[in-house]
Amino acid sequence: MFYCAHMVHSHIAHFYALAAPDFVLGPTSDPAERNILGVVAKVGLEIGGEVIKHRAYAQDIQNTIGGKATHPVFGLPGGISKPVTEEERKGFEEKARSEVEFAKFSLKLFNDVVLENKDYLALITGDIYTMKSYYMGLVDSQNRINFYDGDVRVVDEDGKEIVRFSPAEYLDYIAEHTEPWSYLKFPFLKKTGWKGFIEGRESGIYRVSPLARLNVADGMATPLAQAEYEKMYQTLGGKPVHATLAFHWARLIELLYAAERLLDLSQDKEITSPEVRTIPTATPDEGVGIVEAPRGTLIHHYQTDNNGIVQKANLIVATCHNYPAMNMSIKKVAQAAIKKGEEVSEGLLNMVEMAFRAYDPCFGCATHTLPGQMPMEVTIYDSQGEVVRRLSQNLPDR
Amino acid sequence: MKTLVLGLGNPILSDDGVGIRVAQELKDSLDPAEVTVTEAGVAGLDFLDLLTPYDKAIIIDAIQTREGKPGQVYRLKPEDFMATQHACSPHDVNFATALELGRRLGILLPQEIVVFAVEVENVTTFNERCTPKVAQTVPVVVDMVMRELNGG
Repeated sequence: MFYCAHMVHSHIAHFYALAAPDFVLGPTSDPAERNILGVVAKVGLEIGGEVIKHRAYAQDIQNTIGGKATHPVFGLPGGISKPVTEEERKGFEEKARSEVEFAKFSLKLFNDVVLENKDYLALITGDIYTMKSYYMGLVDSQNRINFYDGDVRVVDEDGKEIVRFSPAEYLDYIAEHTEPWSYLKFPFLKKTGWKGFIEGRESGIYRVSPLARLNVADGMATPLAQAEYEKMYQTLGGKPVHATLAFHWARLIELLYAAERLLDLSQDKEITSPEVRTIPTATPDEGVGIVEAPRGTLIHHYQTDNNGIVQKANLIVATCHNYPAMNMSIKKVAQAAIKKGEEVSEGLLNMVEMAFRAYDPCFGCATHTLPGQMPMEVTIYDSQGEVVRRLSQNLPDR
Repeated sequence: MKTLVLGLGNPILSDDGVGIRVAQELKDSLDPAEVTVTEAGVAGLDFLDLLTPYDKAIIIDAIQTREGKPGQVYRLKPEDFMATQHACSPHDVNFATALELGRRLGILLPQEIVVFAVEVENVTTFNERCTPKVAQTVPVVVDMVMRELNGG
């Protein structure tokens, strides 16, 4: 229930604050307006209020269960920190009902604003935002999406399962490549091997994300989300979907799934049980946990000494899994958008950002610098390797 | 009048925790019935949830500016952050955008928001202590917050 609330809050924030400006205002619209304030100005204050309200509902559920919504004091060895009271449960149920309605509304908004706009649909299904890759995600015993339990399933570019493994086996299937120009590693499927930054079956590059989860699953575990899942694949020409911008659509389908699960769990008779923790007595030695974070598969692996003190920790987070693909998606848009003899506009920078933004990357956001804008530079070379033009935003003075 | 004193940062990331240190120092010397002192490691839209119930908010956080010297303290207002209304993170909206959104949507926000930003040296090394120059600034900022609470 806590985790579903977390998904709801994260997916609402990403869609409305980060993805919607590109579609509601347009990819090449004035950057001063292309933000959540512009979205609210266009779709109306009432809808803006609903966004904030439902995001806050999800935060409130996490806050009540976990003490704090961000950095909760909740998960403990052997269970959780405190039980849910009946009064709290009633509040959760009421909020969850509202979240389901809001998720349905969000999908309708996506339909009206994005899918009914032929240009946007062409942008989503077009080649420049398409990348064929393997996909990875957790599934339950019936191959339906599960955010925090089950096996990891990997499918190929045709949607065929190529491996399925339990969390403890992850090192048998995933390895990491390094490049001298980056301190982030590049994970790849061991079975295929690292073949460089290439697309398709021959490459070991895979993707995680809401869309990856839908691609690896045979369906959703809740009825309304299942209907939306079927609609997406029907509209986009069957499974799997390789359209990077469809990550946003998948994110909203997951929003609906998370809201439905939240409602189911808030009505579960066991949810107010006072039995919330069995304190473990054995000294731990090694453990691997895999969950689906909002932006994709998250692996934690710990080894301890005889006193149970952690000696070794390995984390592969969603942004890391997606790092090779992110580089390729960005390159593909830049190469397609820059045409000989044509003016390179600010809109181009945003088209490139859109490829990046779809992954909802989570690089360190915690630095505090002024002016605090996202620095970016695009350098255009001619066929001789000479710099033709540099286009930049928010770079420090040199 | 309900007042919030909010220390922001990550307490195990050297100077990034300076806001938290100041909040911790203030906690025992302020009457909780009048002033809520809290610590958080949040940004963006989460601000709205934190600030909503208060009439006045004093925020203490770390900052790094181009020519800044560690230990300098700036008293800033929300309008000082308006230059940063572009997304500074691919992951959330920034402070100025969150506040402006709250205002446009009619969310009750503090009438007055003051930010004490402490110029810091190191926010990339895991350490539960601030670097010496920043640590020396903590009592100075505590004084500044107390004066702010007492009407300047």
